[in-house]
Amino acid sequence: MSTTRAKPKKPTLKVTPSSRVMNVSTSGVLRVNHSSTYARSINASVSRKSFSLAADSKILDKSSVQTPKHTVQVFDENGKDVTPQPLYQPDPAAVMSKHSKIFASDTSGGTMSDFYSTAYQTTTNASFAGPFTRSVFGSSTVSRGSQSTMESMNEEIEDPSSKRDISISLSDVQVRREEVKELIKEEMLDDVVDRYLIESETLWLLHMPAVSVSVDSEEAESVKERNNLYMELCKNRMGNDKYVERSMQTFNGAPKTKDVQSEAITMVDAATTATTWDMYDSFRSAGLGEAALSPDTDKASVPEIVSNHRLDPTRAPERTMSVISTTSIASASSSRIEMEPFVVPSEDEPDPELVLQSEKFQQDLFVMERIILENIYQPKLAAYRQLPTLEDPDSVPKVVPTVVSRREESSLDEESTLTPALERLWSFSCELTSGHNVSSMAWNKRNPDLLAVGYGQFDFKDQKSGLICCWSLKNPTWPERVFTCESGVTTLDFSASNASQLAVGMHDGSIATYNVESREKTPVIDSSDCAHKHTSPVWQVRWIDHERGASGEDKGETLISVSADGRISKWFLRKGLDCIDKEKKSEALISRQAPGLCFDFHPTDSNIYLAGTEEGHIHKCSCSYNEQFLETYIAHKGPLYRITWSPFCSDVFLSCSSDWTIQLWRQDLFTPVLGFTSTQSAVYDVMWSPKWATVFGAVNEGRVEIWDLGASILDPTIVSLASPGVKLTSLLFATETDCILVGDSDGQVCVYQLKNLTVGEGTQVAALEDIIGSTLASQL
Amino acid sequence: MQFEETLKRIQTHKGVIGTIVVNAEGKTTLDNSTTVQYAGLLHQLTMKARSTVRDIDPQNDLTFLRIRSKKHEIMVAPDKEYLLIVIQNPSE
Repeated sequence: MSTTRAKPKKPTLKVTPSSRVMNVSTSGVLRVNHSSTYARSINASVSRKSFSLAADSKILDKSSVQTPKHTVQVFDENGKDVTPQPLYQPDPAAVMSKHSKIFASDTSGGTMSDFYSTAYQTTTNASFAGPFTRSVFGSSTVSRGSQSTMESMNEEIEDPSSKRDISISLSDVQVRREEVKELIKEEMLDDVVDRYLIESETLWLLHMPAVSVSVDSEEAESVKERNNLYMELCKNRMGNDKYVERSMQTFNGAPKTKDVQSEAITMVDAATTATTWDMYDSFRSAGLGEAALSPDTDKASVPEIVSNHRLDPTRAPERTMSVISTTSIASASSSRIEMEPFVVPSEDEPDPELVLQSEKFQQDLFVMERIILENIYQPKLAAYRQLPTLEDPDSVPKVVPTVVSRREESSLDEESTLTPALERLWSFSCELTSGHNVSSMAWNKRNPDLLAVGYGQFDFKDQKSGLICCWSLKNPTWPERVFTCESGVTTLDFSASNASQLAVGMHDGSIATYNVESREKTPVIDSSDCAHKHTSPVWQVRWIDHERGASGEDKGETLISVSADGRISKWFLRKGLDCIDKEKKSEALISRQAPGLCFDFHPTDSNIYLAGTEEGHIHKCSCSYNEQFLETYIAHKGPLYRITWSPFCSDVFLSCSSDWTIQLWRQDLFTPVLGFTSTQSAVYDVMWSPKWATVFGAVNEGRVEIWDLGASILDPTIVSLASPGVKLTSLLFATETDCILVGDSDGQVCVYQLKNLTVGEGTQVAALEDIIGSTLASQL
Repeated sequence: MQFEETLKRIQTHKGVIGTIVVNAEGKTTLDNSTTVQYAGLLHQLTMKARSTVRDIDPQNDLTFLRIRSKKHEIMVAPDKEYLLIVIQNPSE
């Protein structure tokens, strides 16, 4: 029996639609399994394959003859030649017997007893992978399956060449495939290539045979019959000799319990709220981290900077590093930067002591104190500012029982409440100032809520050290700044050009300027080193703004002082080499021997000023004329304590002295126009009201008097008595409100509000002039 | 010390019932249960208030918090490290 032609022995192969097997790789041999008995199952064909495995292998070993391929021709029912074209043409010369041997040896191990097991194995494998696989196993089984045709063992084997070809085919396929690819590349790309789309055959991927059959189908009858047979069989089983119950013991593998213990899985809940400010903070810290590094190096790219600083500060700039590496480092280091802001919260808690001493804490305390005081003083401050006072809604019930009685009283007092009166709002005082005599007060030119008060004795005996306190309206219980001076402060004035500069004149004749913005306790400059300083108490200092400088000196503000040694001096401040102000004083403007006590410059003409002396004379002088007075006004019999021009009528000035009188002058008349006397005590201070031309206030030892010349020129309109034992020493009008400040010898500065002072519309300048005119007329 | 004087002055003002300075965890003055309560509750409230303010504008920050109630006024000055609380009865 020739081994070559196995084909002729078989019946004609017919390709039937009912049984199709996809052969992916063939060696020109196509064996279609005619599985009539096992319809619809490729499994059977595969099982047959396995059956023949051993047989083939045995037979293979014997064969070593090379035989040429023989072609297989497949005809369908109509006799058409539908032989599938071979996918490849294996080279008959390239025979590798080894391959076949290997395959054979692989399968030689299979014995008959293993057929079933292998069958099942291959069944499952091939049914899924059969049609498609180009893998070794798949193709080999398929090809072998194609080769096996009969269940009979005496089936002639395939020609070994085909087997070998199959084994070779695997490598050839790959080779061929590559060749095919190369061909394509060489072709012109412009060729129009026709593509035909054909419906491919149906591929069975999974076939699960149905368990039930429709009643209408053809097989229903046979299935029913079979079912009936089975049922009868089951019925007949009992007692039937055909069926014997037999038990069998199988070995049960000894079960083994195996425990595995793992570490407890700890669950941690992590939550975070991404708030807008949280993100902003993180971005800002990250941005700041990079921004801080960039100035340190002069490189252009940020990642390099980052890498150099974050990783190793000592590493030399490695520009030769590839870009990729730097960026990778940068990304690592930038992520480290990202990490850093989140490290911050884990710092250890700051020491509570340090916290308490920090600036922020003091600032907070400061604000807190002010707010508390605002709560306390709110009605008073509102009255000061002439705002309507807010009634605390919760405090109304408390007032109810007294309101009734008040209402009764108020009807009686309606008229009396309309009389002008001083209402005490509050007082600036603290334990520091108690016992000191208030000698002078001045408002800050820029911040009208800031008040500087100087404390010092007037008398030469029992001199204490002087005190300057800067009070803020927002805190009447404690001064904002406290400066102590060696000798009593007799006068002070705020500069207009430099609002934080405060000039202070003292009892020992020295003048100093302080900077109230800083917290230093020492003056900025001091006149104690000056050669020409005053030797007697300085009674008044004032910052005067000269419009035109006299004799080539600079324009601007200068400090003028008058002292008991008879000099009115002008002080200059010049900057030294080391930026310390040095003082230079020009020659004295007055050289009279009479000790000066007060002075006032003309409000519009800064060349003219008035000076009052201890003898009671008022001298009108000019800055440009040092030697002589221009005029002298003599009326007072005692030392003059205050001279002040009227802010509205430029010809009128007031003077007060210890002879119990206040005199109203017009500068062209050498006798006073009006004189005011109310009590028999020295008048320490007098001041025009900044709002009305006819109103001025005066302070004598025991009382405060507000004079309204429009109402009466004989008596003060408002009189307020001081507390017993306390002398009132100074007076200051508040600039924008209807309040006055009165300083006394106990260190208190009381704030009073002028109530019900009906002066009339406007500044009353005309009224004042009328009064003066009528007075003069009546005198004549 | 500067802050001690100011603190003492605050305590002597009219109507001030109590002052508490709290650091992030504990208290530094006045150890009693009310203080503990105040500190804890106000801490949470200031956190919420600050979060609110900064959510609207991240460049802004809370500087002061005042709670006016029927009986008292509670004033809180918050900071990262501490809380300054003053309780005042202003209508005395």
